[in-house]
Amino acid sequence: MNKILVTIVFAFVLPFSLFAYTSPGSPQGFVSDFAQILTSTDKATIETKLQSLKSSTGAEVAVVTVLSLGDGTIETYAVKLFEEWQIGNKEKDTGLLILVAPKERKARIEVGYGLEGTVTDLQAGNIIQEIMIPAFKEGNYSAGLIGSVDAVSGIIGRDPGAQLYLEEPKKDWDIPLEAFFFLLIFFVNVFGHVLGKSKSWWLGGILGAAAGGVIGLIFASFVIGTISVVVLTLLGLVFDFFVSRRPPGSGRGGSSGSGGFGGFGGGSSGGGGSSGSW
Amino acid sequence: MKKGWIIALVIVVIVILYGFTSYNGLVTMKESTTAQWQQVETQYQRRFDLIPNLVESVKGAMAQETAVFTALADARTRYAGAQTADEKAVAAGQVESSLGRLLAVIENYPTLKSVDAVRDFMTQLEGTENRVATERGRYNEKVRDYNTATKRFPRNIVASLFGFGELHYFESADGSENAPQVDFTS
Repeated sequence: MNKILVTIVFAFVLPFSLFAYTSPGSPQGFVSDFAQILTSTDKATIETKLQSLKSSTGAEVAVVTVLSLGDGTIETYAVKLFEEWQIGNKEKDTGLLILVAPKERKARIEVGYGLEGTVTDLQAGNIIQEIMIPAFKEGNYSAGLIGSVDAVSGIIGRDPGAQLYLEEPKKDWDIPLEAFFFLLIFFVNVFGHVLGKSKSWWLGGILGAAAGGVIGLIFASFVIGTISVVVLTLLGLVFDFFVSRRPPGSGRGGSSGSGGFGGFGGGSSGGGGSSGSW
Repeated sequence: MKKGWIIALVIVVIVILYGFTSYNGLVTMKESTTAQWQQVETQYQRRFDLIPNLVESVKGAMAQETAVFTALADARTRYAGAQTADEKAVAAGQVESSLGRLLAVIENYPTLKSVDAVRDFMTQLEGTENRVATERGRYNEKVRDYNTATKRFPRNIVASLFGFGELHYFESADGSENAPQVDFTS
């Protein structure tokens, strides 16, 4: 019986994977040298160049080297990696990925939707054929990548539209997130006072259930709705129970800063760009 | 006695709420597939527009290969005339196969490949083919999510009530998922 079950499970799982993309890891910065073909000074040089490119144009260029492409082509791998890391501004898709797979001797420049007009397939192809591949053929990965980064930065920087990428500072999620937490703590205090006035603790439960219902509607999923109703009802009951017992305290925690590489902006690509091999 | 009514009412409310969330979810998914299909068609159009340039750049040197050029021209005309999404999909497939044949024939003219204009259009064509493949892949993913949602219990009840039918996957010919690889080093 067990054997049959396992076979059935495998039969359902296997056909769904077109190619088994395995992530190389999380971004280490603008440069992620998983294949370790760059010296640390070269890595730092490229990282600085890409950081200043982002501050002056808003475009996010990632340079990634991987140990292996698995069983995919460099085109499919680049698309998947781009999807996973979401390089580029979320609204404008101003991302670009320079991917090098030294083991398979393939390289690709994958251009995000928003940069397709700026860095055309032809330009990407020329950069690969004329700058990257000659250097890679001699094993000089640093020169090839530095040259390519310079070329790409040049194209993006020269584009009259490039400055537009900066015009909208990231007001989407940064500020509202802080405001959200502030509001949340504020409401917790208010509810604490109100619910604390009554000795009974069922009101919290009802509020929790209602909130769960709304969440279910927002996410258009019955499962999420049911789970939220149950969880929030319980939370509401517990919360009310506690505040009914003693006067609510007050106090706010501070917010912590973020260290390290913050990640990419949420952009996507559509398969544009060019590849080459050496 | 009253308690019974209240319970029944609660159950009815829950069922209605469930109906709402399911319906909305299905609508969102279906719209998602339609939007993604538009992406696919955009890339088809891009390829469609690129082809005449490629043909012009090689026609001079390959004048005797009339059969291939005629087939390609026919396929393009058919694509231009296609109205519905299904017709377009079929026509696009024919464009692909005749384009593939042209590219294969170009391989027999090695000097042609090093002509700048030809190389450039090949690069552009590669890029376009890759885009088509990417958008089609995403379309299939969205169709898969939608089809699964319409078939799973208990959502399939809502689906059949409101007429959410199954959508077709994109079945490309084997190997045509990859952009036609043109090797300049040979």
